Amino acid sequence: MGFQVSGKVKKILFGLVGLGVILMVAGIFTQKRYLFPEVHDDHHLTVISNYEGYSEEHYQAALNDLKKEVEGALGEDYVIHIDDKSGVCTDPTHGHDHEAEGHDHEGGEATADHGDEHADHAHHGPAVLWHISIEAKKQEEAHAEGENHEGGHAEEHDDHNDHASHGGGHGHGIIPAEELASMFENGKLSVKDAENRRLWSNLLVNGFFFFGIALGALFYLGLHYATESGWGVVLLRVFEGISSAIWLGMAALFVVLLASTFGMTHIYPWMDNDIASTDAIIYGKGAYLNKTFFWIRIAAYFGIFGSFMMWFRKTSRREDEEGGVELHFKLYRRSALFLVFFAVFSSTMAWDIIMSIDTHWFSTLFGWYSFSGIWLSGMIMVMMITLYLKSKGSLEYVNENHIHDVGKWMFAISFLWSYLWFSQFMLIWYSNIPEEVTYFIARFNDYKYIFMGMFAVNFVLPMVFFMSRDTKRSAPYLIVIGLIIFIGHWFDVFCMVMPGTVFAEWDYGMLEIGMFMAFLGGFLLLVFKGLASAPLVQKNHPYLQESIHHEF
Amino acid sequence: MADKVIYAMYDDDDTTKDAAKHLVSKGVHVSEVYSPFPIHGIDPIIGVKHTRLGINAFLYGITGTMLAMIAIRFMMIQDWPMNIGGKPNFSFFYNIPSFVPILFEFTVLCAAHGMAFTYLLRNKTLPGMPARNPDPRTTDDRFVIELKLEDNHGFTAEQLTAWVKETEIVELEEKVIK
Repeated sequence: MGFQVSGKVKKILFGLVGLGVILMVAGIFTQKRYLFPEVHDDHHLTVISNYEGYSEEHYQAALNDLKKEVEGALGEDYVIHIDDKSGVCTDPTHGHDHEAEGHDHEGGEATADHGDEHADHAHHGPAVLWHISIEAKKQEEAHAEGENHEGGHAEEHDDHNDHASHGGGHGHGIIPAEELASMFENGKLSVKDAENRRLWSNLLVNGFFFFGIALGALFYLGLHYATESGWGVVLLRVFEGISSAIWLGMAALFVVLLASTFGMTHIYPWMDNDIASTDAIIYGKGAYLNKTFFWIRIAAYFGIFGSFMMWFRKTSRREDEEGGVELHFKLYRRSALFLVFFAVFSSTMAWDIIMSIDTHWFSTLFGWYSFSGIWLSGMIMVMMITLYLKSKGSLEYVNENHIHDVGKWMFAISFLWSYLWFSQFMLIWYSNIPEEVTYFIARFNDYKYIFMGMFAVNFVLPMVFFMSRDTKRSAPYLIVIGLIIFIGHWFDVFCMVMPGTVFAEWDYGMLEIGMFMAFLGGFLLLVFKGLASAPLVQKNHPYLQESIHHEF
Repeated sequence: MADKVIYAMYDDDDTTKDAAKHLVSKGVHVSEVYSPFPIHGIDPIIGVKHTRLGINAFLYGITGTMLAMIAIRFMMIQDWPMNIGGKPNFSFFYNIPSFVPILFEFTVLCAAHGMAFTYLLRNKTLPGMPARNPDPRTTDDRFVIELKLEDNHGFTAEQLTAWVKETEIVELEEKVIK
């Protein structure tokens, strides 16, 4: 039998899963739905919510509670009045100068000057719109202390406002409207998210990420068989072991897709019948994006990938027993067939599971872009498992040349990924077509540091550190840089999913960390189970000797 | 000062490699091996130093990037400000996505050409340069190991020749060069 993981490691992995689940459950209660403030002057602000939930009664009750909280938020010195215009104005950008839209960015790059910045959010229903006016209570005191900087300005407002807004900077020099705005912005004043959008979105992120890792390994396995490569034969069982953990990601994706189909979560707007019938663009895509055809495709992906994976593993084990070249050529032919399926499905899978979240948006490069991410995360996982097994002395034939080759793949695919990321971005940026550019505006405005930081890390680190021959042969470099870009590619999937599901209301906390830990632990347990079920060398592979003597 | 050079000729890359191994094991310094194609794995045997061409390539590449940046900034921003992609910001920084392809191509151009010229120059094989190989057949199907007496002070020519004859040579030649 193959590599048996020690009980200690197993305990650690189970502990990781357990701790992750605990953190995740704790994190479920921290989910918030934010309201976004726009400050008009010292005493007036507007609060909007870009996204209107579907369980409207529930949300309304929560909003009513929030109103009471807002009214008392600035203490007894101020009287806060809320004028609720929700439902009157359905488009959050309507009626405001949209410059104030970019609430947490500066200018939103050169492309942000589209009025329909939130056009794709508008179809989620009427937005929350509150006009809030703040009135200072203790006017005399305010006047007495107020060597305020904008006293004259406040006086002007008296002329056209009913509210007596004396004493702009009350006492401590704070501007009440901005004080209140910051409370909305940092989530102090927010509604609990009853729909668990972050939970579902994270399940999708982790499901896709870990499904992708296993799929990346499976793809490389197929590529290796189809090209009749020699060098990596001693590593093939590692690829097999990682691809055997494909069920974890599939299960998570299955749960998310099922929940979306039955309306428990609204990750995919096109799955909502009201939206699908009223939104012209989504209606136009109905021939492809409908639930029946969607599930046929999902069944095809999962069924075909899963059965190829099982067949590859089974056949290579039969080869161990029988020998000869007959099974080798059978694997060669079948893997070519697998690659044909994979070529089509890797793209359509990315469209269906990820790209259809932003249903209005489309990018012809998206399939390749997400495929390169999948392949790279798979390769990093292969590298990590290989280094681990080697350190345990289980991969006797794997020498530093094999490690170097996998390192070269990590280096090369990092560039492929960066190239595709940039190609997709540059064409959309250059042409500046509203229905395409909204995708990047959402990411630049609300996810700026995470989005740009993720790209910089995933591009620059491999380039700088893996260019040299020596680093590609050195385990410490490979582990440190590999793990950083592994996390980086998790954030890549995060940035693919989150802007379309929780918009600007993303957060990174216990929920995200916990779920990632739980998935990682579970994935590794499955990988080690897969590795344990077969010897680590395909002893009857015709190219085994070539691989053992691989050197350059 | 006159120096004696021994040329040992072989007809197979593997025997060349074995011969080099044999000579080096005796403590002989092999000055050069001439071969019609790169012999895989011979560099560590005869003690060739690791190439610094990669460092050169990096420097040429950086030079290319710099030149391209200066040129683009002058042409597209300074001399004749261009409205790029309908975004008239006239700044190098905000237009950088549209310059990346050119920056990339020019980097590659400079790195590749610089590397090729450096390689040819270092090997003294620029077009028109006299050939340095001892026998024209080393560009066809023969392999030659070159031993210089100057590099092997501890040994006499007779000793070296004796060791060379222990290997599977096809021809042996001694020359005195000035």
